Amino acid sequence: LFPGVRQAQWLTKTKLVEGLPPAVQGVVDNPAHGLQELEERAKHAVSHARLWDTAEVAPRREQYCPVLFENLIHICRLMSGKYPSLSKRMLARNCRIAATWERESILLQVRGLSGILLNSMTPIPPVASKEEILATKEHVLETFYPIAPTIDLQEVNVYKELNDTGQCFGDGYPYSHPHTLFFLESANVRTNRFRPEQLRAKMLMFAFGNALAKAKALHGNDPKVLEQPVVVQSVGTDGQLFQFMVFQLNTTDLASNDGIKNLVWIDSDRNLYEKAQCVPEVKKRVVTKPAGISGFQPDTFKKFLALYLHGTV
Amino acid sequence: MAALGARRVLRPGRRWFSETVPGAPSPPASPLYPPVVASLTAKSKAAKSRRLQRFNQRVHAAATVEEKLRLYGKLQRPKYTVYPQTFALNADRWYRSFTKTVLVPGMPPRAAAAKPPVAAAGTTPEAGRAPEPGSDAPRAAQAPGAADAAKTPEPAAGAAPNLDMGELRSLACDALLQESFYQNKKRPFLYRDQDHTPGPFLTQLVSTLAAFLSSRNPLLADSSLDLNPEVNYYWHHGEEVVVHGHRKGRVDSLRFQIDDNPHLQIRVPKQLPEFVPLESDLGDVPVIDHKPSKLPLFKKQYENKVFIGSKVADPCCYGHTQFHLLPDKLKRERFIRQRLEDQIEVVYRSNGIASLFAWTAAQAMYQGFWSEADVTRPFVSQAVVTDGKYFAFFCYQLNTLALTAETIKNNPRKNICWGTESKPLYDVVEDGNVKGFNDEVLLQLVRFLLNRPKEL
Repeated sequence: LFPGVRQAQWLTKTKLVEGLPPAVQGVVDNPAHGLQELEERAKHAVSHARLWDTAEVAPRREQYCPVLFENLIHICRLMSGKYPSLSKRMLARNCRIAATWERESILLQVRGLSGILLNSMTPIPPVASKEEILATKEHVLETFYPIAPTIDLQEVNVYKELNDTGQCFGDGYPYSHPHTLFFLESANVRTNRFRPEQLRAKMLMFAFGNALAKAKALHGNDPKVLEQPVVVQSVGTDGQLFQFMVFQLNTTDLASNDGIKNLVWIDSDRNLYEKAQCVPEVKKRVVTKPAGISGFQPDTFKKFLALYLHGTV
Repeated sequence: MAALGARRVLRPGRRWFSETVPGAPSPPASPLYPPVVASLTAKSKAAKSRRLQRFNQRVHAAATVEEKLRLYGKLQRPKYTVYPQTFALNADRWYRSFTKTVLVPGMPPRAAAAKPPVAAAGTTPEAGRAPEPGSDAPRAAQAPGAADAAKTPEPAAGAAPNLDMGELRSLACDALLQESFYQNKKRPFLYRDQDHTPGPFLTQLVSTLAAFLSSRNPLLADSSLDLNPEVNYYWHHGEEVVVHGHRKGRVDSLRFQIDDNPHLQIRVPKQLPEFVPLESDLGDVPVIDHKPSKLPLFKKQYENKVFIGSKVADPCCYGHTQFHLLPDKLKRERFIRQRLEDQIEVVYRSNGIASLFAWTAAQAMYQGFWSEADVTRPFVSQAVVTDGKYFAFFCYQLNTLALTAETIKNNPRKNICWGTESKPLYDVVEDGNVKGFNDEVLLQLVRFLLNRPKEL
């Protein structure tokens, strides 16, 4: 559906803020983290994923999207030489998420494989200040009258209301706080991939699901306003375009339409590079476009790294 | 000619008579007839050798490495596909004879000597107790304290800083528990047990350990981690007589191709230092009189690929460590059931030798060496072969690429492979506990990851 994020906002009772929150922006701008030297390595990572990884001429998206993600995560993980507390993170692949909540007497739930999840031992501190949270009381959620907000959602008979994030919390799992979710749109055919708008909506729903499950595990199943808001980040990409999102769950009281709302900061449609030319383009015996990565934007990688480092720095 | 010219210059004042000095008539400036060489297209041995020389010259004169590789593997003929992970009996003897490798049990001398001292204070209270996640909190509080003390690098000359075994052990155990116990996974697919638990465990373990040790080893900070890469190598070795067909009776060289998919591999921009000098002789290469098809090995004709995991343009063109996961078909219980217990180690050894030979030889080809232009410096790589619980460590030093029938005649160099027996990392995982954790195996793995050139 076209206004995907707006529908997701209504379903999760969230207020949207454009751009990344100031805490993450601070990590990006801080020169002490040495983000400049990493530019070279990020460029190599992109070139490796897009150009050099295969014995054929050019790798397909199913191959280069996960490889690019792995390379970027590898660079981020190597920063734990500088920040030892980064080793308190664990990556979980193919984890299943399940969360249920009530929204104006409609029971909604989020289920399914939620991509790759990065867990950490310590939770991310809340990103918005108390005043901002209280200010969301005034914010009115936009409705789509006459379209019902649950349009395009699959209706199923739910026999068990499940709330868990695929890990057993009760058994003392040390990395119990969901930190960041990663979504890779790596289908080769364009129609099988999510459009950026829909990808953002999917990211929002899954981040909300994870945060809700964690909140219910921490504070119980009763709907209430949370003293300690739960923050979950999310990054979605199709190999070239990146969407960054920080979601803060302020309340689990989702049945009514007023009161404190949740917050989400979205930074959308950031290109990591313009074009990756595998074979030089030659027109009339003259090389017009040399082989290589053109239009590399280091800011996108800096934001990726900042989201990774957020919470421990 | 030059002497006559010099004599003329040396006596400038002397008057020349009308007769020239009697002597040998001055030879012409260029030969009158072209050199007499064998023909190119005749059906004769001389013509064949001249064609071979032309091919060698073409490959020598190739401008770029990609061009060289393209010419080297241009001609496609049926070749034996060598599988590193094979159930063939005594495959490691055959593979050693194909690749001219000497197998030395144990670890190479340099790697054994450079043992980083382990923090004794951190290990003694935990030596007897298997780590439990329930007591994670006190241990986590203890480990950072010990880690802080252990990580401050000592300024003593040449002394490596202490490694905190507690921290490393907790990382390894967390990775193991996450994959086998904590994460809710569906049941493993039939015969796909290795993808379910040991595969992700290995990935997690290596990535977290590499990130943790990157502060010690600056080479790891520039490294490139590949998941499920492809490694290929094509070479000629030995000769055979064609048995039947229109070419019956002719002598042909044996062609081999290795196509390998390690589970994980680390590539670095600088080469690892050599373990022993280039010309050292540490043993004998087994000689096998039978045809390779008796192993069993089968012939197929397809593209001759030489690939280390990424193309030539990649700056990380040297290999550091490979990690191999043995498939379900080769698990220990199967061998024990078939009463072939001694073949269990053979599986690990053959995997180590074949994969490492292919990787190091492909790295050498990426630098421009090939069988006619032998390597001038040894190429070194390491590998860990595991089935999830048992780990075997291998180090390989490639001293020679000249394995074809003509070049092997005067070549005294041999490739060397050091290998260990397979040892278990842990005994069993039960109820969120890892029982019987073996620190030696973890320490060897850490030593592998910390291997780096002397300058760094």
